[in-house]
Amino acid sequence: MSLKFLRPVVALLLSAMWVNVAAAAAAEPVGVKIPAHQRFVLPNGLTILLLPKKDVPLIAFSGFVRGGALADPAGKPGVGSLVAGLLDRGAGKRSAFEFADAVAGVGGSFEAAAGPEAISVNGQFLARDRALMIELLADALMRPHFDADEFTKYRDRDIEFIKSAKDSDPSQLLSIYGRALLFGTHPYGRPQGGSERSLAAITQGDVVSYHATNFGAERTTLVFAGDLDPKWMKKALTTAFGGWAKSKAPAGPALAEPPRISGRRVLLVDSPGAVQTYFWLANVGVDRRYSGRAALDLVNTLYGGRFTSILNTELRIKSGLSYGARSSFVRGTVPGEFAIQSFTQTANTAKALDLALETLDKLKHGSVEPAMLESSRAYVLGQYPTRLETAAHWAAALADLEFYGLGNDYIEGYGAALSKVDPGEAAAVTADAFPRPGDLAIVLIGDAEKIRADVARYGTVTEMKISQPDFSPAN
Amino acid sequence: MPDFPRSRALSSLVWMISPLILGMATSAGAAGAKPAPATVVPGAEQVRSTTLANGMKIIVWTDRDIPNVALYNWVRVGSRNEVPGITGLAHFFEHMMFNGSSKRQPGEFDRLLESQGGSNNAFTTDNVTVYQDWVPRSALDLTFDLESDRLANLAFDPKVIESERGVVYSERRLRTEDSNEGFLAEQVQATAFVAHPYQFPTIGWPADIQSWKLEDLQRFFKTHYAPNNCTLVLAGDVSADEIFALAKKYLEPIPRQEPPPPVRTTEPEQLGEKTVRVEREASTPLLYLAYKSPAANDPQGPAINLLMTILTDGDASRLHRLLVEEKKLAIDVSGAFSEGFDPGLTWLWLTLPEGVKVPEVQKVLDDALAQAVAQGVTEAELTRAKNLFASTFWKKLATIDGKASLLGEFEVFNGDYRKLFDAPATYEKVTREDVQKAAALIFQDRHRTVGILQSPPAESAPAPTPAAPAAPEAKP
Repeated sequence: MSLKFLRPVVALLLSAMWVNVAAAAAAEPVGVKIPAHQRFVLPNGLTILLLPKKDVPLIAFSGFVRGGALADPAGKPGVGSLVAGLLDRGAGKRSAFEFADAVAGVGGSFEAAAGPEAISVNGQFLARDRALMIELLADALMRPHFDADEFTKYRDRDIEFIKSAKDSDPSQLLSIYGRALLFGTHPYGRPQGGSERSLAAITQGDVVSYHATNFGAERTTLVFAGDLDPKWMKKALTTAFGGWAKSKAPAGPALAEPPRISGRRVLLVDSPGAVQTYFWLANVGVDRRYSGRAALDLVNTLYGGRFTSILNTELRIKSGLSYGARSSFVRGTVPGEFAIQSFTQTANTAKALDLALETLDKLKHGSVEPAMLESSRAYVLGQYPTRLETAAHWAAALADLEFYGLGNDYIEGYGAALSKVDPGEAAAVTADAFPRPGDLAIVLIGDAEKIRADVARYGTVTEMKISQPDFSPAN
Repeated sequence: MPDFPRSRALSSLVWMISPLILGMATSAGAAGAKPAPATVVPGAEQVRSTTLANGMKIIVWTDRDIPNVALYNWVRVGSRNEVPGITGLAHFFEHMMFNGSSKRQPGEFDRLLESQGGSNNAFTTDNVTVYQDWVPRSALDLTFDLESDRLANLAFDPKVIESERGVVYSERRLRTEDSNEGFLAEQVQATAFVAHPYQFPTIGWPADIQSWKLEDLQRFFKTHYAPNNCTLVLAGDVSADEIFALAKKYLEPIPRQEPPPPVRTTEPEQLGEKTVRVEREASTPLLYLAYKSPAANDPQGPAINLLMTILTDGDASRLHRLLVEEKKLAIDVSGAFSEGFDPGLTWLWLTLPEGVKVPEVQKVLDDALAQAVAQGVTEAELTRAKNLFASTFWKKLATIDGKASLLGEFEVFNGDYRKLFDAPATYEKVTREDVQKAAALIFQDRHRTVGILQSPPAESAPAPTPAAPAAPEAKP
């Protein structure tokens, strides 16, 4: 059973990779090739990519409409997310149920979600249902109903999902609180799915107007991969989408680069009765086009990206303080966050936090040993192929390249870039992209009464209740 | 949360139901939705198997799409093999399988495997413990070396036992004590069974987590980790011959052992509805139903799976439509037939919106289930369910990981991996009458346990935090 509150933000955060590993640990990547595919742009500006891959009788699609949470009206985070969720709840000639029945009736899938900068759509159908797939996709993007009853029901349910997440898995809310604390008024600080309070204030009119303004052919890219005939697909897609108008407004203004923070900000989210403290430590990192990407991936793998990472070794393997600890970079059009995330028994909160900070300090002041760099390189290269195994993987990867305007070299040159990283470059990205332990936004969800005193020494603490209907105390 | 934490204790509950259930239809005479395509599984002829002299079975599916290999070692031991006092030991043991042998230091397994490009994980359920490696084919030799070493020479470092105890307790706090969903599911499962060890939570009861001893681990290893109690499945860029040769070299020397004693206890028939109520702070109350159900290899299994798909899979499903969309009495409805070696449970999990009255929800739900028993399902519903199985089947078979996982499930739970390839026909044969019979078999009030979780009544003091004795201090 899933907490549906956190709908997957699929393609756009997926870091696509692929390398063929020839042999052994320090293998040279060979012949990294994106499978042959076609790309064309319809006269109305819609971009379409078609990649045949015929191992199983399925066609996967992955696409995006530029805008996402970025296009939410001021003070109303969550509109884009509701638009995404409502696309298939009544569209074209079908009611919400008829749409769901049409998809499931043939064993298909259709998902839409709002990310920070785009609404993504993803799905998969049996190849023989290709005509239905295109019809449903066109209806959802071009002709959604946004029926009043469906809108209210869906919005109210989203509010309940946030409450349900607070009841059963508060850790999944960490980054939402965290981004608000770290990015402040920058668009990356907004809760993409909205908050209980912001959702309650959104109207059907907001949703209709968002779609009318922000949806259109020139903002949209659709990628299909799988058991497909490009000629048939091109003709059918041109017919289905050729009449789609351009959107009424150009995709929003360029995003400003969010500033890194100096010093510490601490937010304590009080969850009375919680037996563990869930924590998130972050600062602004680097963007998708970061030139040191390969070195960054290798260093983060060593620091917090695999089981034997420095973080997991300290917090789990050696101390038994936590079930797990990890770190990651979110790299958008502009820099997203570098974040450490873990949890521990309430009484050990300070101990675990100190250890996490210590590892970061050591990373910043130490150096990456050549043997560790080799191990990390082998690991990233070795796991790489499994991330581009299926047609759905390829559809998402190509959509990702298109969204960020990255060349094929982002995939095809990655192996070579990895093999070139030396300790000097590793040291350079460590200095450049990872924050100092003194400069962090820190969020803790836990029993405030029991940890308040411990937490005070990490910086100026702001406190709020988990029951508050926003993800930030400022509101 | 961190998603490489190795090892999950899966209590046949919320976070995963083993999809033994995949099937695909070859034709269906439904109006409305189209029937699933008639298809033969491509590459099925590439699967080969052998049994080593020590009784360990090896199954290999060659698939050279990517230069990688997925390895699954299925050990036939889970929390059903536990007794009071050592609950959670199967899962704890799984953690300890990564923590050193007489030849290798704790942690070396992971360090070596990762340094050659591999990753690994493992999970424990009521029924089985499964070890997984995903490696580039260049790391095959090392992988067999590591797997055989821990089966032959596992050793326990008392210091590591203590720190790993803390890790497991942290897992329990995450999934059970800080989770209303996990907490209620554990209570319902423990209430549903009076005799059979399916009543034990796979993660273990807190007092037992604190008390496992070195001797418990040693005894468990001797009893259950015999090569003849394991099935090894590989899929990927390998030939069967090279894998058989590696298995002979590394695994065959491990001596066969006395098979573990069978689980003797069978659950007596339940003769009346049971209810368990949990009072915990909850904005969104929970209503869980668990019905006594047959074992995985029961011939009615496919019909039960299709029934549950019809009722709960997706926005078009019957219960979602009724309870979430029409009546607005739930925000989420899901369910599954949990398949194991012994008769188990079929679950319905409902999350309710704030303020709704639980008895009102239960009444509507009961009426809907009674209707499924009395009137069955429609042809369109059955076709939809068969098509959903077909697409899930194909999606899983698109990866080497899915292939290794499915082969193992069919071999271990259905007695023969080749039944995987029969699944399409098996599911295709299911009729509306079969599904109605399955509904009548499962949805019997006297065979069910009802779990309700909601906030304590407003006038009384808030419920204390669930009994959670402090975990032992970890000793670095």
